[in-house]
Amino acid sequence: MIKHKVLLTLFLFLFAANGAFAAKTAPAAAVLDGLTAVDMPYDVGNAAILRWPANPSDAKDTVYVVYASSLQTGGWVEAERFDSGARTGKDIELPFWAWSGSVKEHAVKVELNNIFGEGQIGLSSQFKVSVLEKGKKLIAESLPVAVTPVGNWFRLDRLNNLILLIGLIVIFFWAVSHAKRKGLFIRRIAGLDAIDEAIGRATEMGKPIFYVPGIGSMSSISTIASAFILGEVSKKVAQYDSQIKVPHYDPVVMTVCKEIVKQSYLEAGRPDSYREDINQFVSADQFSYAASVDGMISREKPAACFYMGYFMAESLLLAEVGATSGAIQIAGTDVEHQLPFFFTACDYTLIGEELYAAGAYLSKEPMLLSALKVQDFGKLVVMVSVFFGMILVALGAKFGWTDFVQGILHLFRNY
Amino acid sequence: MKLIKKQIPLAIVFITGVLTLVSYYVPHKTSVDYIETMNKWENIVVAFAFLLGLISLFFSHYHKIARKADGWGYSIFVFVGFLAIIIPAYVSGGKQMVEGVLTPLGWAYKYIYTALSGTMFAVLAFYIVSTAYRSFRIKSMQAFVLFVAAFILILGKVPLGQIIWDSVLGWTGQRAPDVIEWIMQVPAVAGKRGIMIGISIGAIVTSLKIIFGIEKQYMGKD
Repeated sequence: MIKHKVLLTLFLFLFAANGAFAAKTAPAAAVLDGLTAVDMPYDVGNAAILRWPANPSDAKDTVYVVYASSLQTGGWVEAERFDSGARTGKDIELPFWAWSGSVKEHAVKVELNNIFGEGQIGLSSQFKVSVLEKGKKLIAESLPVAVTPVGNWFRLDRLNNLILLIGLIVIFFWAVSHAKRKGLFIRRIAGLDAIDEAIGRATEMGKPIFYVPGIGSMSSISTIASAFILGEVSKKVAQYDSQIKVPHYDPVVMTVCKEIVKQSYLEAGRPDSYREDINQFVSADQFSYAASVDGMISREKPAACFYMGYFMAESLLLAEVGATSGAIQIAGTDVEHQLPFFFTACDYTLIGEELYAAGAYLSKEPMLLSALKVQDFGKLVVMVSVFFGMILVALGAKFGWTDFVQGILHLFRNY
Repeated sequence: MKLIKKQIPLAIVFITGVLTLVSYYVPHKTSVDYIETMNKWENIVVAFAFLLGLISLFFSHYHKIARKADGWGYSIFVFVGFLAIIIPAYVSGGKQMVEGVLTPLGWAYKYIYTALSGTMFAVLAFYIVSTAYRSFRIKSMQAFVLFVAAFILILGKVPLGQIIWDSVLGWTGQRAPDVIEWIMQVPAVAGKRGIMIGISIGAIVTSLKIIFGIEKQYMGKD
């Protein structure tokens, strides 16, 4: 009996000693104060922003871990992990007019759809932040905070973009109304002036003209511009009673171009010359399309080739074969990395904006021509902005006006 | 007639264009759903248009074969190629691989389609050489500048070129990679940005012309 009591006393003593030792080595974690969770502004409603004051005394190896949960209790999932020096209020990707952040606080944007999947809009989520020493040992933890993200109706961060757009629309309408009163000077575009020469050459040689609208879909601006040029080119072709062939990559573009070409033949007074096979679907595969069009060019030896629209790697495959066949070649694209291939393989190349202007230039309609002035105005705005922006940023960097420089950069940034 | 052929299409373009433009500034789910719906509609239209394209392709080549037009033999390959993919696809139930084994469709895709596409892409390398040769013929001041820039790039990219550079221009203290880096990062990027700014503004104005019905050439004249 005495033996049992001694053993029990010894066991209790050891247990108590162990507990006391454990309590001494792992003190309770401190509470991280000041954590707030707010709905991420100007988004669809699937993100939240957590903010809490930065602790200047944090060691370099201190790590913050953000946990999120879609449940009332438990269910914590690690959302973010970062060093104590990172993720300040200044790091949130919003401009100064839409967000006020400081380096004295931590601010973390948590994308809830990345953690819990889609469908989180309007549902409450909970967050907590843990502070770890050397990435392992818990030294502080916040109390859970909750937020219900909601969808917003305006992207305030895109205000700069909207103001520029409104400015352009105002100038656009001014230019269009101005066009009705008097004509405007438009500089010559050699590539477009050469269209008559190319069609005339084809007529004299009795050979066809190939018009390649590229591999863009009808939603691509360059394809739309290409369709406008096709209208003017096919009208001239109809007037000269020459032949035109338009191989297509996209069936929707083919359908639109069929109507455009048919209308052009009607306007030229030659509806009898229109044939259904002028527009022909070739393939919706890039290299199959290139191979097929190359084959046609090699066999038929056209007098002129037009490459207008959206092009990728097939640009050189087409233009080089056209050059080898001896055709006069006019190209135009807004894909800037394909321009060098067209420059070297074609006689004339329309660079991006010239392609967009081509429809107006060829049709010579005052309203369309005047709209080109808006492009010039846009370029003027960019040139003036670049010039003064450069000076202001240089001055800001020289005199250490960091916030001022950031403000200037925010104005010209796309969000 | 004018209402159906002009005014209704213009109204559709205007309403759709404005809604799409506004959705760029409205992050709400309604706006996201609208864009998704429009994309779905576009896909449906494309699917039907693809059928039209296929019919156009077959008719065009059928007539060539029937009329024995120049190069009609090539038209046969359109049908051969079509059958070479469509029959295996039908047999394989549209699957390229079953339990790690290539199906007839997988075989046709790998050994016909991919091989032919790869060949076509490889041809590009030869065309680049012939284009480079053409662009190196100095016919104007611009062509001379292009030649000098390209020559420096080539010189700096090959070991022999670097040896030549070091022996001839080593005294300048500039290394070929530094000069190349400067050409690629300063004049090339400046030119590219200029073009991109012009393209962006042109795209905005073209879009406005279409949305507001100023540009309606695609619908023909009144």
